[in-house]
Amino acid sequence: MSTMTDTNPTDVPQSILKSPKHWRNRIAGHHWRSGDEEFDAAKLGMWLFLTTEVLLFAGIFCGYAVFRMMYPEAWANGSHYLDWRFGAANTAVLLLSSWTAANAVRCAQLDKQFWLRVNIIVTIACAALFIFIKLKFEYMVKLGQGKAPGTFFSYPHAHDAHEPLWWSLYYIGTGIHALHVVIGAALFGVVLYYAKRYQAYGPTQYTLVENAALYWHLVDLVWIFLFPLLYLIH
Amino acid sequence: MSTLDTHAGHHDEGSYLSGPPGIMAKIWQWATTVDHKKIGVMYLFAVLFMFFVGGTAALLVRYELIDPMRDVITQSVNADGDLVETTTSTGENLRDLFSGLGVAGDLTGTQIYNRAFTLHGAVMVFMFIVPSIPASLGNFFLPVMLGAKDVAFPRLNLLSWYIYLFGSAFGILSILMGGVETGWTFYTPYSTTTDADHWRVVLMVTAAFILGFSSILTGLNFVVTVHKLRAPGMGWFDMPLFIWAIYATSIIQVLATPVIGITLLLLIFERIMNIGIFDPAMGGDPVLYQHFFWFYSHPVVYVMILPAMGIISELLAIHARKHIFGYRAIAFSSLGIAGVSFLVWGHHIFTAMGELAAILFSGLTFLVAIPTAIKVFNWIATLYKGSIVLNTPMCYGLMFLFTFSIGGLTGLPLATLATDLHLHDSYYVVAHFHYVMMGGTVIAFMGGIHHWWPKMFGKMYNEPGALIGMGLVFIGFNVTFFTQFFLGTQGMPRRYANYVDEFQTLHQISTYGSWILGLGFLVHLAVFVHSLIAGEKAPANPWGGLTLEWECESPPIEHNFHHEPIVKHGPYDFETTVPPHWDPKDYPIHPDAGKAAH
Amino acid sequence: MMMPTLATAQVSGLEKLIFGPKLPASESAAWADGLFMMITWFSVFFFVVLMGLMFYFMIKYRRREGVPTEPSPHHNTLLEVFWTVVPSSSLLVMFVLGFQGYTQQLVSPSNAMELRIEGNKWNWLATYPNGAKSPEFQPLSKKETQSADGMSSSVTRGKDYPIFYLPENTAVKFRMNSQDVIHSFWIPEFRVKRDVIPNRYTTYGIQTPKLTAADTYIHQDTGQKMIGRDMWVFCAEYCGDEHSRMAATIRIVPQDYFDQKMEEWGVVGLPWEEGEKIYKSMCASCHQINGTKLVGPPWNESSDGSGQYGWGYPASLADGTTVERDPNYYRESILDPNAKIVNGYAPQMQSYQGQLDEDDINNIIAYIQTLSTVEPNPHLDAEGSESESEAGNQAEEAAGSES
Repeated sequence: MSTMTDTNPTDVPQSILKSPKHWRNRIAGHHWRSGDEEFDAAKLGMWLFLTTEVLLFAGIFCGYAVFRMMYPEAWANGSHYLDWRFGAANTAVLLLSSWTAANAVRCAQLDKQFWLRVNIIVTIACAALFIFIKLKFEYMVKLGQGKAPGTFFSYPHAHDAHEPLWWSLYYIGTGIHALHVVIGAALFGVVLYYAKRYQAYGPTQYTLVENAALYWHLVDLVWIFLFPLLYLIH
Repeated sequence: MSTLDTHAGHHDEGSYLSGPPGIMAKIWQWATTVDHKKIGVMYLFAVLFMFFVGGTAALLVRYELIDPMRDVITQSVNADGDLVETTTSTGENLRDLFSGLGVAGDLTGTQIYNRAFTLHGAVMVFMFIVPSIPASLGNFFLPVMLGAKDVAFPRLNLLSWYIYLFGSAFGILSILMGGVETGWTFYTPYSTTTDADHWRVVLMVTAAFILGFSSILTGLNFVVTVHKLRAPGMGWFDMPLFIWAIYATSIIQVLATPVIGITLLLLIFERIMNIGIFDPAMGGDPVLYQHFFWFYSHPVVYVMILPAMGIISELLAIHARKHIFGYRAIAFSSLGIAGVSFLVWGHHIFTAMGELAAILFSGLTFLVAIPTAIKVFNWIATLYKGSIVLNTPMCYGLMFLFTFSIGGLTGLPLATLATDLHLHDSYYVVAHFHYVMMGGTVIAFMGGIHHWWPKMFGKMYNEPGALIGMGLVFIGFNVTFFTQFFLGTQGMPRRYANYVDEFQTLHQISTYGSWILGLGFLVHLAVFVHSLIAGEKAPANPWGGLTLEWECESPPIEHNFHHEPIVKHGPYDFETTVPPHWDPKDYPIHPDAGKAAH
Repeated sequence: MMMPTLATAQVSGLEKLIFGPKLPASESAAWADGLFMMITWFSVFFFVVLMGLMFYFMIKYRRREGVPTEPSPHHNTLLEVFWTVVPSSSLLVMFVLGFQGYTQQLVSPSNAMELRIEGNKWNWLATYPNGAKSPEFQPLSKKETQSADGMSSSVTRGKDYPIFYLPENTAVKFRMNSQDVIHSFWIPEFRVKRDVIPNRYTTYGIQTPKLTAADTYIHQDTGQKMIGRDMWVFCAEYCGDEHSRMAATIRIVPQDYFDQKMEEWGVVGLPWEEGEKIYKSMCASCHQINGTKLVGPPWNESSDGSGQYGWGYPASLADGTTVERDPNYYRESILDPNAKIVNGYAPQMQSYQGQLDEDDINNIIAYIQTLSTVEPNPHLDAEGSESESEAGNQAEEAAGSES
């Protein structure tokens, strides 16, 4: 990473190779002794951030557990309303994207610029597919049937008075997760832009690719928990 | 954006305070700075401003309580002891403020009171005390004390600052639109149903939500900085105890804040979409909210107090010129407190939870007392055979020991189940947490500001003036809050605008105390302003400290150090080390000093 | 620690200073006080030792010119272990005693008299085993009494608080729940409180004390000497605008007096009298009958800048329309309060659907009618409702004409 304080007004070179953003030309921030230390720090920072994300979702899982104990009927009914096939499809999509995200890091380390971009594009495409499945086959359909959260619930064939609560937790859990998918995809979008425009990532400088991939693995991991809890357990 | 750092040192740099000429250029420089010192100073003024706002609300709350039945401002007692309606011009202004400049409509006296105490609580907790020490003094001194040029992620640091401003803006907007009356804890279902037609509550909750991110990012930044940016020669146990405290604080911030994030988010959804998670009418559980809320808000109590404990370790050691007693015990007790803090949230809701859970949480709560007591014993032992100078920072340090001990010991009956059933949600609790939060954190913060003021601004403050302010704060504080212990044990509940006649005397004493307290802080304000305008130039090491910030100039240069410092002595080796920039006429040092170290 | 007997016998001066003139009312309360005192003495001991050392060091080792500090050890393992272990073990003692007392305080014997407590914004409502509800009230503060008497007409926020009678020397169990938000039922004399939560019951038990000669008081209305002890009940969990006025009185009385009251209250009164009872227990915190504007509009015949109030007068609504204040209007306002909002008021009231039955609503409407001169009950003068003793006789006729 570089700092914001000192900019060199002459550094807008024509060739990517001479760009200061090219991975060969990038140097550590002024307060770091070396680029390695900076990389380690950025990674440590990312892991800490991921901890906070885990705790954020922990709140939702905790709410899920509490209400599951209070209203087991509603919770059992709830999972019957969901089609596990869509959940499984999305799980597959996310697992694939996690693999390509990991590949992207590997490609950056090996300076395979083309494959780096391909892997990122596949990852972003998977994210889009995930959101598409979620919206088109799940949210839209469910909302159309009146299976909405809280007081918006108007599904006429509900078996249990507390099903609206189940839907509240479903929408909050999957909704916040979907938001994370979008943020992760946006992060990869940034990586893609820099990779294409400057070849900014290579064997000595791939912090952002690594961190974006870490974030993406977390998004994947959360889904791995959401999927069985919401779709599979009765 | 790139920088080439080929300089061996930074000899030609000026103070971080010197900027480009021209007021606009200066403002731009400060607004876009990634320098941790500038960000720390901006935080310092912001949190002090918030302290002023919250303090004003507190005075208003106390003013209302001077009489059992009178409403704030609108009514008072005439010579015959009757209630009459008087509307003073100040009163009208205040009423307008709390009526949201007309937005909230005509409010009754109790409604104004409820808004005032909520404003006091929300501003003091979310905008003042949580960011207070870590974000201001921590930001400024953490890198310097580690011998680093900046925090690990300087731009993230600037982002935290702007998130803080952004969040505070939401809070202020909510206040200007009429304020909220939920109490700072936003307990459901009251908070989800009250004031249903307005956005005020949502705005205030959103403010707390956003401020949480600022807190998380600052904490994350500090943890990484401590791990990765210690100067050569500085092992974990060569770190000043202030750093240990900030480190423990940061871990709590990172781990606890996301939970309040999701909780407040659920609260917002509950309010605008009626999702029902906390709504008993739909089968939701309002007590679940309390569990979530305190899972964050109890650890965050230690976010407030741990940095204060760190400051006290510095103050007592330096101003007694004594090696801190039991360094490792203090360092580990900080981590111990951080760890245990996650297990004790239930003691805030003893009266709402099941018996078994209450007993469990009571037992765990007592665990927190142990590391806290250890710290106090160590601090007192540090004074033994010292060379104690009673300047303002040291007086605040000793005052902390006094008030914080009271705060800590009065916590015991609250952890004990049988006595808590009576004291819970009474004025006893109010007094207890003010003794800890104000008698602990604010007092240590004041001590820390005075201690590091010369370093931050390069000016000395007026010592007699500051001592007068300190004395007034000490007297005012104890008069205000000690009486409240008795109110609580005698049966006065919290958050009451009106009360039964028998409590009036104690309430009056408390209110008079709050005026003394307010006066004390005004004196401090005057001393600070005087120092900035006409203060004497500060030497680089006015107190003879050994931590790295005293090797910098006062104020420090842009990159803190001329050369990367190499640590050769511990932070408290006063007996063996000649302090940097030492002037023999300031204080004597031991004849053997310096022989061993160099 | 010894289990103290009834604390009245052995209250120390310090205890009086701390807990005020009110003695603990039950043995478990006295026990809790004893525990509190034990912790206090423990704390005082440590505080004095610590502060004594601090001040001693402050003076002994104050900085002297030219005198350097003497070296001393930086730590001392033995000392540190000592000061960790000793306080820790005392904490263990506190914890164990604490939960012992806690179980005592909350549990009630199975034959305890059950009093059902309902909290709503901002009233306490108690239902006795025979279904009676307390119709007696008293003000919170002397100053409130003054203003309610009309001594200063500009401040008329006086409100009466219900009195719950309990027989002496009896085990009582409170079964509590809330109609709206969380409240907390606190009787300081018993040193116990418990949150009152919507959609679930919480309980705790108390043992009422034996009355003694010291418990004689002068009855506020009759001026007679009576035996009984009054205790405040406060709401301890913040619940909104009038939280600080959500109070009640527990009055401990001799068993025969209690039985007599129960018999009296079991009898149903006249419609408007019943209405007044409901008004005082459920409506008075938001609606006044002396023209004062609170959260809700006043009920009596009065007017202020924003309009005219009272039975029979048209109400100007927030949406600009006007509506006649007739029984249908009142009925709707009770069951669906937000359907018609009077101009200048916020839609804050909750529905009383399910809490008030048809009879209750009729009674309230009958009571509101007595507060206005427009089509009044023929045998009531305008102020009939305000002085209860006078109104009693007239009311019988009034009720007769109504039914």
